[in-house]
Amino acid sequence: MKTQKMIVLLFLILTVVLAGCSSSNGGSNGSAEGNNQNESNSANPDPTSADEKVTINFMHLWPEGVSTAQNKVVNDIIKQYQDEHPNVTIKLEVLDNEQYKNKLKVLSTSNTLPDVGVTWAAGFLQPYVEGGLFASLDDLLGNGLGDQFVAGTTDAFQVDGSTYGVPLEFNIAPIYYNKEIFANHNLEVPTTYDEFLNVVQTLVDNGVTPIALGNKDRWTGSLWYMYLADRIAGQEVFSNALAGKDTYMQDSLLQAAGEVQNLVNLNAFNKGFNGLSNDEGKADFYNEAAAMYLMGTWELANFTANEEIPQEFKDKVGFFKFPVVSGGKGDANSWVGGPGVGLFVAENSPVKEQAKQFVAYFVEKWGEKAVTDAGVIPATKVDTSSVELADLYVELFNEMNNATSITLYADVQLEAEAAEVHLNQIQALFGNAATPEQFSEAHEQAIKK
Amino acid sequence: MNKMMSNKWIIALYMLPALLLLALIIYIPIVLTGYYGLNDWNGIKAMTFVGLENYKELIGDKAFWSSALHSLLLALFSCLSLILYLAVSLVLASKIKGANTLRKIYLIPMLLSSVAIAQLWLKIYHPSNGLINIFLEKLGVVNTPEWLANTDIVLFAIFLPILWQYAGFYILIYYAALKGVPKEVEEAATIDGATAWQIAYRIKVPLITEVLKVTLVLAMVGSLKYFDLIYVMTGGGPNGASEVMASYMYRIAFKSFDFGYASAVSFFLLLICLVVTWLIRALTASKEQIQY
Amino acid sequence: MQGLPLRSTAGSSPIGAAGRAVLYIVLFIIAVVQLFPIYWLLTFSLKSNQQIFSSHPLSFPLQPKWENYEKVWSAGNIGTYFLNSLWITVVATLLTVVIASFATYAITRMNWKLSKLALGMIMVAMMIPVHSTLIPLYSMFNFAHLIDHPLSIIISYIAFNLPITVLIMLGFYYTIPREIEEAAVMDGSSIHRLVLTIIFPMTGTVVATTGIVNMIYNWNEFIFVNTFISSNELKTLTVGVQNFIGQYTTDWGAIGATLMISILPILIAFIFLSDRIVEGLAAGSIKG
Repeated sequence: MKTQKMIVLLFLILTVVLAGCSSSNGGSNGSAEGNNQNESNSANPDPTSADEKVTINFMHLWPEGVSTAQNKVVNDIIKQYQDEHPNVTIKLEVLDNEQYKNKLKVLSTSNTLPDVGVTWAAGFLQPYVEGGLFASLDDLLGNGLGDQFVAGTTDAFQVDGSTYGVPLEFNIAPIYYNKEIFANHNLEVPTTYDEFLNVVQTLVDNGVTPIALGNKDRWTGSLWYMYLADRIAGQEVFSNALAGKDTYMQDSLLQAAGEVQNLVNLNAFNKGFNGLSNDEGKADFYNEAAAMYLMGTWELANFTANEEIPQEFKDKVGFFKFPVVSGGKGDANSWVGGPGVGLFVAENSPVKEQAKQFVAYFVEKWGEKAVTDAGVIPATKVDTSSVELADLYVELFNEMNNATSITLYADVQLEAEAAEVHLNQIQALFGNAATPEQFSEAHEQAIKK
Repeated sequence: MNKMMSNKWIIALYMLPALLLLALIIYIPIVLTGYYGLNDWNGIKAMTFVGLENYKELIGDKAFWSSALHSLLLALFSCLSLILYLAVSLVLASKIKGANTLRKIYLIPMLLSSVAIAQLWLKIYHPSNGLINIFLEKLGVVNTPEWLANTDIVLFAIFLPILWQYAGFYILIYYAALKGVPKEVEEAATIDGATAWQIAYRIKVPLITEVLKVTLVLAMVGSLKYFDLIYVMTGGGPNGASEVMASYMYRIAFKSFDFGYASAVSFFLLLICLVVTWLIRALTASKEQIQY
Repeated sequence: MQGLPLRSTAGSSPIGAAGRAVLYIVLFIIAVVQLFPIYWLLTFSLKSNQQIFSSHPLSFPLQPKWENYEKVWSAGNIGTYFLNSLWITVVATLLTVVIASFATYAITRMNWKLSKLALGMIMVAMMIPVHSTLIPLYSMFNFAHLIDHPLSIIISYIAFNLPITVLIMLGFYYTIPREIEEAAVMDGSSIHRLVLTIIFPMTGTVVATTGIVNMIYNWNEFIFVNTFISSNELKTLTVGVQNFIGQYTTDWGAIGATLMISILPILIAFIFLSDRIVEGLAAGSIKG
């Protein structure tokens, strides 16, 4: 009986201690201050001495299995860096896209972000900056690194004039089309929206799905809406409305939303698109059941290097710019796109300086290897004459250079809550569950909030 | 005997590991969730105390109430499907040739992770290349349904895989419980001339009422906080047509970054579960005495 | 397993025979339906993305893509992940079942005023969605320096599976006759001996049942692993799936292969344990 009492008491004491600890911690975890408790780092509080062993934690989202090329580029750069800086160890953690975002969120609540990590621009980055979690990278950019970027690509990573992330990717979204299907129906690449509608109508009449779309993911449909808004309302009006500088309740924007529904009612998109993921939706383009597909330039790797895609299909793929709408204010060289992911450095990282140096090194090397080794278009300048690239890449590089404006994806541009509203409304608009008025109204409210 | 069975130290010894773990890993988070729910918090900036503001917003939030309705519908369907599971288990547990092999086969889908089940059903429901629509087209149906894109049917389309996913779980429990019914009882009844149906309905089922009650609670609570398949298959869409409380909560927390409001939603979910469980226990309490 | 008639009274009548034939046909159809996911997963795991999204979902690929399996195997660390999954699943399952057994015994067989309250506490613990506990749990583990430590996932698994385990056990414990305990006490047995040597062996069925359920949950769990573990050396097999989900594309065939591989151990454990259910019954029902 005595042993029982002892065990029970022991248990109780243990709980009181543990519960005491954890609840006191729970109360304080909302604050942005507090020490980084990343154990691997805490041993190196002093960043000044160069010889001291340093561990930099780096979290990214290119798993070895599917993003083999990117993963390899990352590992090569790290290996090179560690060879050149023997005192530095880079510790990696790799997660897939969604898990990565979730983990970053959970880590930020305890202020234990990795020293270096992947971030998205604008709306994603802003709360982290406002909460004081990301370090300003102005010193890096001022130190020569800034000149390496294509002009304007770092803008989306700025908050109040300071830059908090350096972009690794830069994409625009053309409409890819199947040349053979177009030829079979005597169709020309449309340059005006009326011609485009004619293409759609002809394809529908001949039983071919005009456009492959998987709108369960919602950002896919958003691209179509954004282009229509850009072409009809014009880049400036649309940007101002998204930024909340001007009202969203404008006739031109209503017209754009109405045009989306017009396309839906013409049966321009594949069957059941609102219930299909992007992967499922685009399959119709890849197996040549659909003639067109609007997507970012990251898709180029599939039309060029990817060995799983048959060469005969690759040869049929071309692209065109989103056509101009007569009477609309947008021009053909205005694109939807922008920087994809970038790198951040954690503000409270105990190895902040070393982390920044690593980021600078990484961006430079990434810029040299990304296109050739992984088919990723970096945000840094690429000398297209010195590297050998597939025609599609070269043509799109040229388009990027001729771009008059590039409107950042709405779901990236908007802050999280408004972005969710935008995406939900896109699905509702495409599903004819919201009228253009309701659509604009919801945006007006969400952006003003 | 009675003295031994009410020895406080022994009771404490047996209960403590369980209760301590729950207190630490579940109750502290519940309390903290309750606290977050009283704050405006995006997970990054400091919290601001807003009192019951989040709950006020919740009451007027149509999207939340429609997700709550969907969850309750799912709970209702889950409870109804328990009858089906029980029927299959009764057949399996009666003297059937090859019952042992069949039983194992029946439980196989339970072993699959939600990722696999979701992919399977996406292939079944695919609007142009899915098993169902290919079949319907062969039958000559022209306008085959867009199962997961049509807001009128998506909710029910998503229930089916969930009910199928859990069949194995409940059959496993029922089967084990039915096998626990002493053989003598059944044999005595058989000699008295009872039919298989009578044995099942009058003798076996009443003997496992405790297990039935438990599964009722499990099905209810499990459905009310259900998340997995719905999130992977439709993401709650299109346009919220298949949103349930847990997927709504997840989206607010991890997509809209509104942890305060999301906590209020999960606290409300907890309350609904409590009420429902209490109702079940109140409604089934009368029979409890007979068991002892 | 002898072919005893389903109904002793009407078994020989023509209706009974026809009824039984129908019954067997239905049982067989259900069996096919339940087996079909495994076949489907096999075909899925041997296709490329192209084939997965365009060919008939049930077609067997003409050129099976065994490379998918190669890819899964050659991706670094799969062996480590596998071992981690294995030991974490086994430890968490064993502890859950043991802790739940003691708790269930105390709740159902012993007399104390607060037993109903304790049961209520256990049931409430079942009602909170996992995602709303992530942030508080993370900050607690972080405080206790348990982040990136297997203990954090093991105790989370135990705590989250305890309620359902206790609930399933509950119904079974209620049916154990009092006389068994009384007889043992008369013989002068202590309560620990009674529980360990008489009650636990009698509950083999439910222990096997809850064991299977726990194993499946723990084996497939990934939210806690992703959140609390950051070192590659400590991650589990579910990470293997993530390995094939990219920024813009997903390698579905390889995911299928990973799922196919990861289902095997659980399938073996299941076949073994589900036989235990029957044996447990045989042992338990002797005195019943």
